[in-house]
Amino acid sequence: MVKEVLFLIGGPQGSGLETSGIVLTRALAEEGYYVISDREYHSNIRGRHSYTHVRVSVKPRYSLAFPVDLVVAMDAESIFTHFSDIKKDGFFVVDISSLEQSIDKIVSMDRLVRQRIKRKMELLGIRDDKAESVISFLREQDTEIIQLDFKNYLKKLADKYTISPRAISRYLSGIAIATVAGLLGIDMDSIVNGLRARLAGREALVKHNVYLISMVVEDIASEYGTPLKLDAPDPKTSDFIVATGNEIVAMGKIVGGLRVQTYYPITPAADESLYLEEKNVLKMNGEFIGGIVVFQTEDEIAALSSAIGAALAGARSSTSTSGPGFSLMVEALSWAGMNEVPVVITYYQRGGPSTGMPTRGAQSDLMFAIYAGHGEFARVVISSGDHLETFYDAIDAFNIAEKYQVPVIHLLDKFLANSIATIPIPDFSNIRIERGSIVSGAPDYKRFDKRNLVSPRAFLGSNAVMWHTGNEHDEYGHVSEDPLNRIDMYEKRIKKMALIDEELPLKKRISLYGSKNPRIILIGWGYTKNPVIDALPKLEEKYDIGYLHFRILVPFPKDYIHEVLNRAEIIIGVEHSYNVQIANLVTMHTGIKISHEIVKFTGRPIYENEIITAVKEIVENKRIRVVLTHGE
Amino acid sequence: MGNKHKWRTDLWIDWCPGCGNFGILNAEILALKELGLDPRKIVIVSGIGCSSRIPHYINVNGVHTLHGRGIPFALGIKLANPELTVIVHGGDGDLLGIGMGHLVALGRRNLDITVIIHNNGVYGLTKGQASPTLPRGLKTKALTKPNIQDAINPIAIALASGYTFIARSYAFNIRHLKEIIKRAVKHRGSALIDVLQPCVTYNDIYTRDYYEERIYILDQDTAWDPVVREPSEEEVARKLDQAWVKAMEWGDRIPIGVFYENPYIPTLEERISSEIPEYREKPPALQKICNEKGEPIITRDIFKILFRDKIIRVRNRYKS
Repeated sequence: MVKEVLFLIGGPQGSGLETSGIVLTRALAEEGYYVISDREYHSNIRGRHSYTHVRVSVKPRYSLAFPVDLVVAMDAESIFTHFSDIKKDGFFVVDISSLEQSIDKIVSMDRLVRQRIKRKMELLGIRDDKAESVISFLREQDTEIIQLDFKNYLKKLADKYTISPRAISRYLSGIAIATVAGLLGIDMDSIVNGLRARLAGREALVKHNVYLISMVVEDIASEYGTPLKLDAPDPKTSDFIVATGNEIVAMGKIVGGLRVQTYYPITPAADESLYLEEKNVLKMNGEFIGGIVVFQTEDEIAALSSAIGAALAGARSSTSTSGPGFSLMVEALSWAGMNEVPVVITYYQRGGPSTGMPTRGAQSDLMFAIYAGHGEFARVVISSGDHLETFYDAIDAFNIAEKYQVPVIHLLDKFLANSIATIPIPDFSNIRIERGSIVSGAPDYKRFDKRNLVSPRAFLGSNAVMWHTGNEHDEYGHVSEDPLNRIDMYEKRIKKMALIDEELPLKKRISLYGSKNPRIILIGWGYTKNPVIDALPKLEEKYDIGYLHFRILVPFPKDYIHEVLNRAEIIIGVEHSYNVQIANLVTMHTGIKISHEIVKFTGRPIYENEIITAVKEIVENKRIRVVLTHGE
Repeated sequence: MGNKHKWRTDLWIDWCPGCGNFGILNAEILALKELGLDPRKIVIVSGIGCSSRIPHYINVNGVHTLHGRGIPFALGIKLANPELTVIVHGGDGDLLGIGMGHLVALGRRNLDITVIIHNNGVYGLTKGQASPTLPRGLKTKALTKPNIQDAINPIAIALASGYTFIARSYAFNIRHLKEIIKRAVKHRGSALIDVLQPCVTYNDIYTRDYYEERIYILDQDTAWDPVVREPSEEEVARKLDQAWVKAMEWGDRIPIGVFYENPYIPTLEERISSEIPEYREKPPALQKICNEKGEPIITRDIFKILFRDKIIRVRNRYKS
C-alpha cells in the first residue's frame, strides 16, 4: 500500500530540472494524484546545483518532507549533496560517469557546502572523497542503487535521430523523467501529454524524448519493476489546475478584473507578470471581453506610481514585487494611503536583508508590510497559505481595495510562488466583484467628501473635475493645513480601519485547524500552513493540538484571537524568520505572550517532519525555541 | 463646458510675486482654452516643488504626486485611459534630479503626453539649493559656496532619450509659450518643453533681465525647420544633427522654440493597440469586469478555456 511517494531530482541549474518537474507533475495529475513540487535553486542561470523536490499522494498533501523515497542524481554534486536525504530502503539513481568524481573536483560546489559534506562523510566513515564511496555507503544502508549509463542512452538517441553532440545535453531531463516514470509506473500516455504541454509545438523534441524515456523506462521496469507504484488515486475532482503560485495569482487577478499590471523584474515575482502578459487579451468565441495592459517600468518606484495612476483612472490595477522592490515603493504606498487609492501590491517575500538570498524563501517581511510608509493610514494586509487560498485572495484584494479605497498588500513568499501544486477548479459560485461606491461625478464633486468614511469615487475622465495631492487636503483634494480639517481628514483615513475590521467576515481572516479548544496551539501564516496542516493528524494522535492560521493580518481580529489563545496552555509561533514576527503582532494586539517558537531562516521551506520533531521537542523536552535547519 | 468654463480655480496662488510660474500658468490656461479641450478629460500631473502646485490653480483634473514621480503617475493614468490629455509639470530638481530616470524612460516609450519643466536652476521650496541645471562655478543667492557640480542639458537629454517633440520656451513670453504648449499637446507622442523660469527669490543670476538680453526665437529664422518631414533615416539624422547643435548653444545667445519634432514614431498607445486592437475603443479603465450581479465576466466556463494550458483532465480509468 503506497499512499505517497517523495522524490528529488538534483542537477545543475539550466539542465532541464524545471522541465522534469513540470512534465512529471502534469503526468501525475493526469493520473489523478495530488502533487506538490518545489524548486530549490541558486541565483544563477547555469551550472549551480538545484533540485526539484516532489510529493505525490493519493490524498491532498500540501507540504514537502524528508527523507525521500527516491533521489535522481543527475551529476556527482547531487550525489554528495543529497545522499543523506534518502530513506534507508529508498532508491538512489546515479549516472555511472558520476561515480569516479571526487568531491574536491566539483568546482560549482559552494566551498562551505563542500567542507560541511566532507566532514559528514568523514564522520560516517566513508572511506574516500569519491562519489563511488558515497554510493557504497548507501548500498550498505540498504538503499537500492540504480546505476544508469546516461551517455549510452544519449548516444542511442543521437544515433537514432542524428542529433548533434552539442544539442544532446538538453535531453538529460528526459532521463530524469524516465527514471521517476519507471519506478512509479506512470502511464506513458500521461508522460507524453506532459511533454506536449511543456514542449508545445516542438513535436520533434517530444518524439526524441519519448524514444529516450521509453528506452530507460523499459530497462528500469525489467530490472526493478515498479516498486514505487502508488495506490489507485481517489481524486475529488475531474480537473486539476497544475500551476505555480505565481500563475495562480495571475489567474485570480484576471478573474478579479485586473486591467493594468505594472512591474519591474525581480525574483520571485516576475513570473506572475510574464503569465499575465501571455494572457492579456481575453477573448471568448473570438469576441473581445477584456484586455490587460501589462507594463514593465524602469523601476519599482515607477511600477507602484503608475499602478496608482491607473487606479485613479478607474482600472483595477496592481504591481508585483519582492522585498527590495517593495522598499522602493514605500513612498508611493504612503501617497496611496493619503489619497485613498485602491491599488494592490502583490509582495513575494524572499530571504533578506538586502539582496539576501534572492531565490530562497522567507517570511521575514511581515512587520515591514504592515508598517511600511511614513505617517499613519489605513491598509489591508492579506496573506495566503496555499495555492487555492491564493486564488481567492487575489480577487478579494481588489474587492477590499475598491470597497474601502485603501492600498492592499497581498503578502506571499517564494515557497508558494515557485512551487507547483494540483488544485481543483475554484468554486465560482461565491466569487463576486465588489467595486464599492463609484459615481460618474458632477460639477462641484468632492473626491474626499467627509460625509462618509469612504467617499463616492469618480474616475479621472468622468463627469467631474477633481484633485489629488500627497499634501493634507480638503474635500476637493486641494492643499490645506488647517488643523481642524487635518483632524477630520486624518480620522477619515484612519477610521476606515475600524470599518474594515467590523465588516470583514472572520472566516476570511482566520482559520482554526485541529482540535476546537486545543491545549497546544501553533500559530502561523502564509506557507507555514502547509507543513503544519500536514503534520497535524500525526500530532493529534499524541496531543490536544490545533493550528491557528492568519490570512488577513491587518486589520487584526484581536478579540477572537484573544479568546482562542487565552484558552491554550502552550502557544507556539511558527515562521520562516528569526524573530517570529507573528508572535510579536499577536502580543501587541492581545497582550498574550507567545511562549514558544519554531523558526527556520535558512531560506528553505519548513518540512512536515520538522514540525513533528519540533513540537515534540517543545512539549516533551521543554524546549522554548527550536531552530530548523533541514534541507540543502 | 468649452467657452463658459472657468479655467482658473479660486485658490490664492502662493508663489512669490514676480515668479516665472505665473507666466507658465497663464500660458497653459490660454493654450488649453484655445485647444478647445473638455476640462474633464484633461489631467495635470505634477511632482513636488513650487511648480508642482500648478494643478491646484487650473480647473481641470489635478494629480499632485511625489517628488520626481509625476511621469510614472501620468504613465499609469494614460495607460488606463488613453483618451485623456495628460500634461506633467515639475521643476528642474524634480524632473531632472530625483525623477531623471523616469524622464529618460518616457522618451523611449513615446507615450502621448506632454512634460513641462519649470527650469529655474534652484530648489526654491527648500530655500535655494543648486539644481541639476545650475552650471558649475555659479553661486546663486542662497549657496554658501559656488556650485561644484556641472549642469545637465535638458534638451540634449530629451534628444538622447527619444522624445519626438522637444522645445524650449521662456516663462514671460506667454504668447510663445502658449503656442509651444499647444503644439506639444497636439503632437502625438512624448513632448518635452524646457521652460526658462526666473526664480525671483533664489536665483539672482538667471534673472528676467539675464534671459531677455540673450533669448532669441528659433522659429523667427525662416530657414529653421525642426520637423522631420519624411520618415527616412537621412531626414531624421539631418533634423537631429541640427537640433544637437542648437541644444548646445548657451551663453550670449539662448535659443527658444521647437528644436525637434518627429511625427513618424509610433506612440506607446499604438504599440499597445497592435497587440490589443480594442485598446483605444475599450481602454482598461472603462472595461466591464463584472455583470450587474457582480459576477465576474470570467465565468467558470471561460476560466476553463482561458487557462486550459494549466488545467488537466483527470483520467477516469481508476474509477471503478
